[in-house]
Amino acid sequence: MNIGVIIAGILTLAIYTFLYKDNPIYRAAESLLIGLAIGYVLVIYWQTAFMDRIFLPLLNQGDLWVLIPLILGLLMFSRFSRKYSWLSRIPIALMIGAGAGVAIPAMLYARTLKQISASVMPLIGENGAFNFEALVVIVGLLSTLSYFYFSREHKGIIGQVAKLGTYFLMLFFGATFGYTVMSRMSTFIGRIDFLLSDFLQIIR
Amino acid sequence: MDRQKIRWIIFTGLFVIVALAYTVEIKMVSQPSFEVKKSFDYIESLPEGTILMVSFDHEASSLPEVQPISLVLIRHAFRNNLKIIGLSLFAEGTAIGYRTLNRIAAEYDKRYGYDYVFLGFKPQHIAAILGMGESIYDVFPRDYLGHLTDTIPIMDSVENYDDIEMVISITDGDRAVQWIEYAGPRYNQKIMAGLTAAMITSYDPYLSSGQLSSVIGGLKGAAEYENLYGEPGKGNRGMPAQTAAHLYLVVLIVIGNIIYFRNRKRQGRGGL
Repeated sequence: MNIGVIIAGILTLAIYTFLYKDNPIYRAAESLLIGLAIGYVLVIYWQTAFMDRIFLPLLNQGDLWVLIPLILGLLMFSRFSRKYSWLSRIPIALMIGAGAGVAIPAMLYARTLKQISASVMPLIGENGAFNFEALVVIVGLLSTLSYFYFSREHKGIIGQVAKLGTYFLMLFFGATFGYTVMSRMSTFIGRIDFLLSDFLQIIR
Repeated sequence: MDRQKIRWIIFTGLFVIVALAYTVEIKMVSQPSFEVKKSFDYIESLPEGTILMVSFDHEASSLPEVQPISLVLIRHAFRNNLKIIGLSLFAEGTAIGYRTLNRIAAEYDKRYGYDYVFLGFKPQHIAAILGMGESIYDVFPRDYLGHLTDTIPIMDSVENYDDIEMVISITDGDRAVQWIEYAGPRYNQKIMAGLTAAMITSYDPYLSSGQLSSVIGGLKGAAEYENLYGEPGKGNRGMPAQTAAHLYLVVLIVIGNIIYFRNRKRQGRGGL
């Protein structure tokens, strides 16, 4: 059997010992997982960010433009000095400014404008038939929004509509919970598959 | 009975049920959902040589759920002689993506550099998504193996998203959202997502607003796609265990509720 499979099998069982109770075997496996994940990501970032984008262009092609992001990146470390920590505001300001400039129009379009246009559907379809889905969407949207409207007390008609909104919210939470359970079960099934097929070789 | 013992019984029961359902061969037929059928039909309709971009935007921890999706999608693409540009915008997905592509490529005798390529990982995913809209070579001057991207044959006809039919993001988080938000409106790029089941409801608004072409969700989505593809794989294999686990949980929820309402009644707080 592959040594990697043996190690993975033992570590899987070590993690599952937590189901009995917290114990040193579990904690050792957990620490190993975190350490390996951080180490792996660090190496990938070192290679793809520092080597590929900074050092290799600078040393091999003499590309001096890469010094600008390098210096900006190094300025971040001025946070460690009380005297020079103000310098870190330059790259932070650049990042936030550029990030906001890129993100705001994209998010406004994708998360607001497109969602509004998708929510407002004609109640009567092109063939003259009543669009029940459109009615459910508009009732769900308005009632859920009214639940989050806190400028007036939830009494009378607003209270009734807001209550209806909570049912739509519960439907959403229920669906999300159901899918999350499904997701976790799939992960568990994947581990069972590995343990029974690859590690213990009980099934083929 | 104390809580700890109840916990052990519940988990042992779950393990036994899942292991039994996994060991016993039960054939289950998953009817394809509208979204999975749409995904399959779209890939099926593409002419040979069409280029797809597959982004492995997930961690190793979600492999049991998303790998069946990527396996069947890549198999389908290679069977139909489509070409694949692989990449990862999630550091942990890098080696996973490379290995998955190589594994399936070997099954279909596909050649690296000609039928598929893996560009590797790029940090700052939003900048990478936007940058590829202008030039993929600028964002990925070299592929994962260190070859110059502009010397790779499959990349001859590719400059940016204009030359890519569709981006398929296999993700366990919100990475596909960034593809939708940045590659979608600005570059008119079609996006498909392979998701963990837990993420499906988060992507529904993008699906219903037409920003996302289609989704394949979780192990069940993979099983449905495998059935359409005609080769049952890990998705189908996991379905009996998935169903058994769900039935077990439903029974536990019912028992939990009975106990809860019985205790309420005993305490004089009424039943329902």
